[in-house]
Amino acid sequence: MFLAWNEIKNNKLRFTLVIGVLVLISYLVFFLSGLANGLEQLNREAVDKWEADGIILTEESDLRLQQSVLSKEDFDGSGVDEYTELSQLSAIASNGDKKENVYIFAVDPSSFIMPDVTEGNAFVYEGEVIADDTLKEDGFEIGDELSLSSTDETLEIVGFTDKARFNAAPVLFTDQDTLDTLQYGEFAEGDSDAINAFIIRTDNLNNVEADEALQVIDTETFIENLPGYTEQNLTLTLMIYFLFIISAVVLAIFLYVLTIQKISIFGVMKAQGISSGYLAGSVVAQTFLLSLAGVLIGLALAVITGLFLPAAVPVAFNYIEMLIYGIILIIVSVIGALISVQTIVRIDPLKAIGG
Amino acid sequence: MAILELKKVQKTFGSGRTKVEAMKETDFEAEKGELIAVIGPSGSGKSTFLTIAGGLQTPTGGEVMINGTALTDLKEKKRAALRLKEVGFVLQASNLVPYLNVGQQMQLLDKVKKGNLQKEEAKELYQSLGIDHLIRNFPRDLSGGEKQRVAIAKALYTNPSIILADEPTASLDSDRAFEVMKMLKEITKEKQTATIVVTHDTRLIDDCDKVYKITDGKMELQERVHDIL
Repeated sequence: MFLAWNEIKNNKLRFTLVIGVLVLISYLVFFLSGLANGLEQLNREAVDKWEADGIILTEESDLRLQQSVLSKEDFDGSGVDEYTELSQLSAIASNGDKKENVYIFAVDPSSFIMPDVTEGNAFVYEGEVIADDTLKEDGFEIGDELSLSSTDETLEIVGFTDKARFNAAPVLFTDQDTLDTLQYGEFAEGDSDAINAFIIRTDNLNNVEADEALQVIDTETFIENLPGYTEQNLTLTLMIYFLFIISAVVLAIFLYVLTIQKISIFGVMKAQGISSGYLAGSVVAQTFLLSLAGVLIGLALAVITGLFLPAAVPVAFNYIEMLIYGIILIIVSVIGALISVQTIVRIDPLKAIGG
Repeated sequence: MAILELKKVQKTFGSGRTKVEAMKETDFEAEKGELIAVIGPSGSGKSTFLTIAGGLQTPTGGEVMINGTALTDLKEKKRAALRLKEVGFVLQASNLVPYLNVGQQMQLLDKVKKGNLQKEEAKELYQSLGIDHLIRNFPRDLSGGEKQRVAIAKALYTNPSIILADEPTASLDSDRAFEVMKMLKEITKEKQTATIVVTHDTRLIDDCDKVYKITDGKMELQERVHDIL
């Protein structure tokens, strides 16, 4: 550490440039991880909110909620601790000024998937909805009359709930009657028993006794099969992994060039009896200091950037994940330094001092 | 007992037609408190001798002993440790680390080896070499003579029993060169080290206890120094 730190102190410009490159890489890693996380939340918030263990869909649905049509009578709760029905509809909702893509979830107000109201009241009468609070940020308010693209019926926002987006759109929660009216019109036969899914809580999904035409899947599988969800995550994760490799390569090149420049002085030190291990340790310590500085500055910049981003940019930082990525960046940087370590071990002091 | 002893040491490079005898069979001894000069023209094998004596390269034949330890029996790691403990190098080019100031050059040695000079002893050494006012200076701020004096201080800082100096006056003017040689002699006597100075400058051997001459790899002890002069 002694050699490493003193070299950094005495070559500020050179090492500032190295740290600068690492800051940019780590900033990009943290920002992309925030973006990946934000986009994930955008797709799955409403599902996570259920705190459910699984979901029952029809076999033919291809694990898509909207393609699954079943009857309330299709499942009697055998083998589960709790279950409830869910119906859904997607639409474009407008309050006159603003338009938004929304999902409308019909839920039983007494069930475990009924969201907590963070502002206003829960729906009581037909046509009332609780909206995800991102709609509030977009200019929707309690009392707004919402017209829908697919029907002449209107809805009224009576309350807001937080963290309730599904498949990148805010969710409106209402009761089954309202949804039936939206789907089948005012003169729909009452008490339609068509729903899209059963949401279940159980210790063991294998114990669930469902009809052969139905499939029981765990919540995570359901989320992973949301349209575009896995593809989007894989793309961003791949970019992050590539950045790890880029970070290791860039730092390895920098350190290798610096080591080549120092061959004669390393040779002299080896001639004096200073071990290769001490010199290699010094390069590793230097890499650790540089990558630590780069990662910390990159992290700070990413967090500061996050504070000033408009709500429309789906960036959500997961600090534990960022910490893990930061540690990985430091580790891969140190691995990159091993090329220089190998060079140091191979330095022949005799050649270095011109013998 | 000799601190440094070379017994029938020889070094050859290549084989067959390309075989070069860089050092012919040589016996050499250095005792405590001896200042020894090894002189010879460029390419005569002076540096080969010095690097073999310091354990930086292994001889083709013969044995090198430092304080009774045969270097040829040791692996590189142990040879490096022995060099650090027993040998102080003063090299032609400055052997200073460019990003450490004079004080830190010594601190580095404290990091890798115990039993170096105590604070007061180091202070005395700096004073005797006239570098006590340069402790916070970096090598780039030092003149050639100052660098060489710091290099000598660095070589002495680990309390070595042997000092191997390769053309220590090469980058100095005549006055400075004589001054450095005088200093090496004083240190040799005072610290009871065995100091071997390799040089091509015969003007500097006046105060040496022994002089060896190398010609085409053949090393011979000169009986009378003044015959060379």
